[in-house]
Amino acid sequence: MRQVAVTGLYKAFGAHPVLTGVDLEVPAGSLTAILGPSGSGKTTLLRLMAGFERADAGIIAIGDATVDGPGGYVTPERRRIGYVPQEGSLFPHLTVAANVGFGLPARQRRGGKSGKGDALLETVGLGGLGRRYPHQLSGGQQQRVALARALAIEPAVVLLDEPFASLDAHLRASVRADVQEIFRRAGTTAVLVTHDQDEALSTAGRVAALRDGKIAQCAPPEDLYRRPADPGLARFIGDANLLDGVLDGGVVKTLLGCLPLDPAVTSLGTAGQVTVLIRPEQIDIGPNESGIPARVMSCRYHGHDAVLDVQPGNAAAAPPLVVRVTGARHLPAGSAVTLRARGPVFAWPAD
Amino acid sequence: MTAAPATQPGHQEPGHQEPRHQEPGPGPRRKAPRPLALLTAAAVVAAILALPLVFLLIEASGAGAAELASLIFRPLTWSLLRNTVRLTVVVTAACAVVGTAAAWCVERTDLPGRRVWAVLVVVPLAIPDFVVSFGWHSLWTWAHGFRGAVIVMTLAVYPLVYLPVAASLRMADPGQEEVARSLGVSSVRTFVRITLGQARGAILGGCLLVALVLLAEYGAFEILGYQTFTTEIFTEFSGYSFAASCALSLVLVLLSLLVLAGDGLISIRGHQARTSRTGPRVSPPRRLGWRRWPVLALFAALVLLALGIPVASALYWMAYGLPPALSGGANVSLLDAAGHTALYGGSAAAAATVLALPVALLAIRHRGRMRLVLERSTYLVLGMPGVVVAFALSYFTERYLAGFGYGTAPLLVACYAIMFFPLALVGVKASLARAPASLDEVARSLGQRRLAVLMRVTVRLAAPGLAAAFCLVFLSAVTELTATLLLIPTGTQTLATQFWAYESNLSYSQAAPFALVMIVVAAVPSYVLGRFFQRPGQTGG
Repeated sequence: MRQVAVTGLYKAFGAHPVLTGVDLEVPAGSLTAILGPSGSGKTTLLRLMAGFERADAGIIAIGDATVDGPGGYVTPERRRIGYVPQEGSLFPHLTVAANVGFGLPARQRRGGKSGKGDALLETVGLGGLGRRYPHQLSGGQQQRVALARALAIEPAVVLLDEPFASLDAHLRASVRADVQEIFRRAGTTAVLVTHDQDEALSTAGRVAALRDGKIAQCAPPEDLYRRPADPGLARFIGDANLLDGVLDGGVVKTLLGCLPLDPAVTSLGTAGQVTVLIRPEQIDIGPNESGIPARVMSCRYHGHDAVLDVQPGNAAAAPPLVVRVTGARHLPAGSAVTLRARGPVFAWPAD
Repeated sequence: MTAAPATQPGHQEPGHQEPRHQEPGPGPRRKAPRPLALLTAAAVVAAILALPLVFLLIEASGAGAAELASLIFRPLTWSLLRNTVRLTVVVTAACAVVGTAAAWCVERTDLPGRRVWAVLVVVPLAIPDFVVSFGWHSLWTWAHGFRGAVIVMTLAVYPLVYLPVAASLRMADPGQEEVARSLGVSSVRTFVRITLGQARGAILGGCLLVALVLLAEYGAFEILGYQTFTTEIFTEFSGYSFAASCALSLVLVLLSLLVLAGDGLISIRGHQARTSRTGPRVSPPRRLGWRRWPVLALFAALVLLALGIPVASALYWMAYGLPPALSGGANVSLLDAAGHTALYGGSAAAAATVLALPVALLAIRHRGRMRLVLERSTYLVLGMPGVVVAFALSYFTERYLAGFGYGTAPLLVACYAIMFFPLALVGVKASLARAPASLDEVARSLGQRRLAVLMRVTVRLAAPGLAAAFCLVFLSAVTELTATLLLIPTGTQTLATQFWAYESNLSYSQAAPFALVMIVVAAVPSYVLGRFFQRPGQTGG
């Protein structure tokens, strides 16, 4: 397994720039997710890594070899990449076993039962289905075959393009977990592209947020969620309350009271105006506790939890705060509540 | 930070932390590797297809402007032009009405026996036009001239409108009609504004084909005694007046290209948008109620006239015609003629399919100006009627090969392959569309070279469609008369030419079996084709 390094990558289609200087490191053996809204160019980035498109400028290196750069270009068939496209794209005219063995040398393919293909099918949990045809499989099974097919060539890196998007919600979680486990055991270097932040945060070891044609931040999921590089990114990944605050020593004063500052913050001095990030689950809510009095404006009920828009009484002009409570709480619009925030909180200099 | 005009790729400021406004991509873009082999192959095909037009122009320039002008600007040309245009307009309009109405009834109403009618109304397409005209003219002498030509040609070629319209109605989003109705638009106005709008491209495309067939038709008009450019070119050519046939060919090609250009102008507009990712929903059929009886009667009449009369006529002459011994004329074995027909048709079909493959691949899988130019240039063949292609090829052998190759099978096969290339291209493109590009990409990521991908994935998936393209060309070649008469290898006969020989002799009883065999031979593949193109596009299974 090799690491992948992307440096200063540019790609435009016609006059429309898609990638404007992407820098990305994918360490060997890691699963890195590229997270971006649709149209952000994440699939383009993946296709450039795979070699289906050629970059306008910049360098892509897999291991020690430069596969796309000023010096030259390596065609997809010589890159040793395991590509798993969105719909699986199994070859409909071939059996599952033939699909898995497609990339193997002819000698191994003709050997009839290739032990390797069977073993891989076993790995993805589809042992014994080798003689079926793709249309006889469910969507989740097809996706697993596509994965086995990609792994069969012992790729330097596996590229997955929204591999779970076409699956039903209940299948998605299980296939995702299986894939994660398979990669972890094999130590696979993998890049996964997705627009689903839940998927990115729960599946990948590192998440790269793609914004405006550049990687805005690449970090482990907890870091990306709790310590985003800028307020825009905080809103892009999950719900976020961005409050004005005043920093004094290690404490930030906000309308939710004085909160300790996350020690990881390095961009701030010891005092001054700041913008504070408070995630919805950092706010405790209760009708009886002491805290800031507030009123519930609306409630979006999701079953396992509920997301409330809450207007604090001491800041009637400010936008309502987003608060997450467990689904067991029943707090209809109009309920009077009190708020208390839990630190430490993350902050940036106010702009 | 000054945005200095960066000339070197990757020469951005090292501290990229702060995202700046989007700079344009620095320096000249790197070129993606071009599919050189494919481009070369497609260019060779385009060159082959351009040969007839090139030869025609060479011949024309050899004849000289003055002579050409004197041959073109004479009363005969004007009367031919009037005949040709008048017939083309009337028959095209008639086909548009019959084809569209039939397609709508079959696809969108609860007409009893829709599946059966869907096959029966298409079969007449398989019957050669000259066999249809033989059927009518041999039974009733009033089927003659303009009137005869309108009746016969409408019945022979309306399926060219029916087929694309039926397909587009089948694929069209019924939601649009439902939305229109929900917005308070009456059912009649919905039909005009939505349904016809959805099918507009298909109707125009069908009309284009009809017009091109009419411009190129020879046999039927010869039997019906109706003079058009094509019949006149044929006559002049047979009389060795090369300059005259060349001059008339130029006018005919110009007419065909005009028709093509008109279609190009129209089809630029009109996009179809469909947001749903699932397959087309089938619209609930419109109830006909009591109206089903007159509609059924009309369908029965259409099939009777278009299919019944040619078949019945052939059977009639076989049963009641003069016995062969009395009618005279050389007796050629039906089997012998059928064998030659199959040989020439099969070779032509294989050649055309192979020629179409690189052009179709380029058209479907690649972008770029070269692709567009190459693909468009092959459309020019559509504007070359068979008589002109045959004329141009025989001129070529005459002038440059000292007659070598003239009257041999390869020349006839080449002529067929060029003439029917557009048909093959349609079929091959449709079949390649069933092999999505994503599969190619996966195959390449698995370490397969382009050629291996083509053989192991693309062609395998496209195989049914390639077979359909083969059938389409085979079918057309088997029932081709004009070019066959001009280029038939010395000493051999095909079904069409032998039929023609007997027919010209008025040996109807001997011509009839040949007509019947052609009907059967052509009807079977056309049935298979109909089934193929009726299936919705799918990649699975």
